[in-house]
Amino acid sequence: MNRTVLIIGLLIVAAVVAILFMGLGKDPAHIESPLIGRPAPGFALKAVGSDETIDLTRYRGKPVILNFWATWCKPCWDEHPVLTANAQMAGGRVQYLGVVFQDEESKIRSFLEQRGWAYPTLVDQAGKTAIAYGVGGVPETYFLDKNGIIVAKFAGPMSAEDIQTNLQKAMK
Amino acid sequence: MIAFLLVLALQMKVPDAEQFVGKPQGTPVTGEQLHLRTQQIGALLRCPVCQGLSVSDSPAEMAVNMRGQVRELLSRGYTQEQILSYFERSYGQFVLLKPKFNGVAAAVWILPLLAIAIGAVIVVSKAKKLEAAPAKSNGQPATEPEDPYLARVRELVEKP
Amino acid sequence: MTPSLGRFLILASVLVSAAGAFIGFAAGQKQSPEGLKWARRFAYAFAALMLLSTLVMEYALITHDFSVQYVSQVGSRDVPVWVTIVSLWSSLEGSILFWGFILGIYIAGATWLNRGKHEEYMPYAIGTWLGCGAFFAFLIAGPANPFLTVPNPPLNGPGPNPLLQNHVLMIVHPPMLYLGYVGMTIPFGFAMAALLRKRLGHSFLRPLRASLLLPWVFLTIAIMLGGWWAYEVLGWGGYWAWDPVENASLLPWLTATAALHSAVVMERRGILKGWTVTLVLASFLLTILGTFMTRSGVFNSVHSFTQSSIGPTILVFLAVTLIASVLLLALRIDSLEAEGNIESAVSREGMFLVNNLIFVVLTFTVLVGTCFPLIVEAVKGKQMSVGRPYFDAMAVPMGAALLFLIGIGPALPWGKATKRELVRSLVPPIGAGVIVAVIGAALGVRSPWTLLTLFFGGYAVHVTLAQMWLPLVQRMKRGGSFGEALVDAQLRRGRRRFGSYIVHAGATIVLVAIAVSSTQRSSQEMTLARGQTAQAAGYAITFTGVEERAEPHRQSTIAHFNIARNGKPVTTMDPRMNQYASMREPIGTPAVHSTVVSDLYISIMNIAPDQQSAGIVVINTPMVSWIWIAVLLMGLGGLVALIPSRRRVYAVEPHSDAAPSLGTAQP
Repeated sequence: MNRTVLIIGLLIVAAVVAILFMGLGKDPAHIESPLIGRPAPGFALKAVGSDETIDLTRYRGKPVILNFWATWCKPCWDEHPVLTANAQMAGGRVQYLGVVFQDEESKIRSFLEQRGWAYPTLVDQAGKTAIAYGVGGVPETYFLDKNGIIVAKFAGPMSAEDIQTNLQKAMK
Repeated sequence: MIAFLLVLALQMKVPDAEQFVGKPQGTPVTGEQLHLRTQQIGALLRCPVCQGLSVSDSPAEMAVNMRGQVRELLSRGYTQEQILSYFERSYGQFVLLKPKFNGVAAAVWILPLLAIAIGAVIVVSKAKKLEAAPAKSNGQPATEPEDPYLARVRELVEKP
Repeated sequence: MTPSLGRFLILASVLVSAAGAFIGFAAGQKQSPEGLKWARRFAYAFAALMLLSTLVMEYALITHDFSVQYVSQVGSRDVPVWVTIVSLWSSLEGSILFWGFILGIYIAGATWLNRGKHEEYMPYAIGTWLGCGAFFAFLIAGPANPFLTVPNPPLNGPGPNPLLQNHVLMIVHPPMLYLGYVGMTIPFGFAMAALLRKRLGHSFLRPLRASLLLPWVFLTIAIMLGGWWAYEVLGWGGYWAWDPVENASLLPWLTATAALHSAVVMERRGILKGWTVTLVLASFLLTILGTFMTRSGVFNSVHSFTQSSIGPTILVFLAVTLIASVLLLALRIDSLEAEGNIESAVSREGMFLVNNLIFVVLTFTVLVGTCFPLIVEAVKGKQMSVGRPYFDAMAVPMGAALLFLIGIGPALPWGKATKRELVRSLVPPIGAGVIVAVIGAALGVRSPWTLLTLFFGGYAVHVTLAQMWLPLVQRMKRGGSFGEALVDAQLRRGRRRFGSYIVHAGATIVLVAIAVSSTQRSSQEMTLARGQTAQAAGYAITFTGVEERAEPHRQSTIAHFNIARNGKPVTTMDPRMNQYASMREPIGTPAVHSTVVSDLYISIMNIAPDQQSAGIVVINTPMVSWIWIAVLLMGLGGLVALIPSRRRVYAVEPHSDAAPSLGTAQP
């Protein structure tokens, strides 16, 4: 029995199998955000349907739900009514904001007019805000607490429970 | 119309690199050099919506936006380190195609060097052992001989 | 009816292969000729069942039988016939069936070619092969069953992934890859047999080496086809991104190449037996790892099949074969004793050792780099990437070192050499190296690594040609024309050596072409209005207009460009954006104009809605066509080396090679 071969061999086996096994549970497309716990990048963007420029600091003092989306994104269509309903229920206690990038304002406008327009929607030219927030795809939603710190990020279309769960973190 | 949009654009404030990495620490880049440097730095950034392509190579709109951002930062005088750091702050280490040299990522650079060093030691000691070993049975290999003289001998033997 | 027929055939193949494996190992243990006879029958039966199952599936595909689940997933009445035939391997379940089919052919072939020979090893080999066959048949019967019945068959299907319909290379790349990958099972069986018999006799080297070389040829060409396909189809203008699945195809190639080289030393000096066997085992294990990486969904890759329960099953098989290999090696490696020595490390033998070192380190590096993000995420919970810049940084020096070895290895004499002999063999090619490097610099190469690669390349070409020339000269001294000498010395007598030098010549060109095409590449983005001309890479590019073309399965928007050089028209190029019915985003197809010197490559970024302007990327890549052709040359060299010689060999075989004879009768 060649001990060296045995030991080295079994070490390799253990390492390989362990690494691959641990990889099995994970989705390689899912990326964690490094911004959690950090102040949200500030911005001031033009709102759809008016000349107004909305600055993020305006909403300091209450939790903000920042939703990045686009009209060509099918899951965003499913998510939109959920967001609209929750925004209406929240009243003034929570501020909902939409940010659209890689899209045209006229398309955004008709989308909102058809499907509901419960909160300000902003246009992000050249996707700079999206880049600053580390947006990888749409829809992605960031939850900010009243001090402007990002407490959670959710990638993908949200259900009402998803909103509530993450909102709890923002309310603390 | 364009003037109107321009005025509007000036009123907007997008999240600025200054928030993340401070003031530019290099000199602004222009012209052909700007194009080249944008490509080089873009090759080090991973397109977040693609399967492993770099920002320079990817046709996705997200990547085009990121290239634009790199170009702008370069023209304002940000260094490569600052630009990479800017993207790392929002996307995480995931966006860096070239692993960093510090922290846990350093291992991926060290391991191959270690492998060469250890491998070289093993090869040298094995070679020494083989040099010292006695030439036991010297069975003539069953292959076409490399040595032309031996080939000639074979031919002479084979001739009818 | 068809689904149940398919399921029946697959189930039968599971039983036959499992039984055959058992019989093979039992026959090996008892060294029973009757057992071997039966093992061979089961091997042929397995191959026949796999063949029939595949034919049934192709029949179902071609007749658009949507009651078969796989056909309902990838079949479509709207796609061309060749796409239908080829969709056998376009999606996960069909591709595993295809794997089993190729495995069946290989097993039958290897069994038949070795009938009446190597009887002490064959039962074990067949047992191992059928064991692997049983696993894949089990996969097909269970987690990856393409023959499930669809209760309410639809009238039409979605067709295979559009990316796979874009190019003709889809017909050749996967089969080549499978022929390479699956083929590694055969030498694996031989290696296991040697370990189980506790000996690796001299006469057994030949089937071991040949069974390794044939899949190596296929795998070499397959990897090149993969790169060529990425280049022609994906639109980013490159051919290798160190994507996890690309790496998965490269890993077994690296160890197989190392094994082929150490086998030469094993044959000449009787040493490195255990090491060669280890490399052969590793090559097979890496193919299983590779198939796991491609199909488990663990790795983020452009190739990934969808996730399914197949991942854990493959991992279990990988673990089992890994442990079996390690245990067997630990127990038996010392029995494969070295019969010889080397005279000096500064010799051709020594260079083979260095060759193996570099190949193994390169394999390790690519493996670690690919798996590193997984490790970090598991240990620290953070996500990081290990991408092209890392692999290029590692591969470039190692590639240069390999090119250096291709030069000095064959230049050095066998055995021991005096200082004078060393100088006489190593110095003359330096001139050729310098000339090539100077030419490169004159043509505009400035990158230090590329210049170094050019120097090593020139050196290697000189050495390789000299080594090919030497036997010719010897033969011509006996009388006869050059042509006669060529046929006699190289093709009739020296095929292995001649073939390997052809491979080396090809490899040299490949490495040089990769270096040049990477560092001398230039790319430009531009937007052209209709009728407008722009200059790029010495060409005048004129955008002439957009054409819409509707095909049954896709809608194409084609942008037409006239290409001229020095005022004279050269060609037209027509990159496209294809909108497939089943996909949301359009997929672009670039246009490529290849010449000996370089490729002009145009990829569409966007087309204005009024179709009066187009944004494109124009890439100029020198010497990239040389890569495809030189790899074909490598494959050709391997095939030349494979042709068996019928010449009687006057060899004094070592005593240890005398095998205990197995019975008397021949089946």
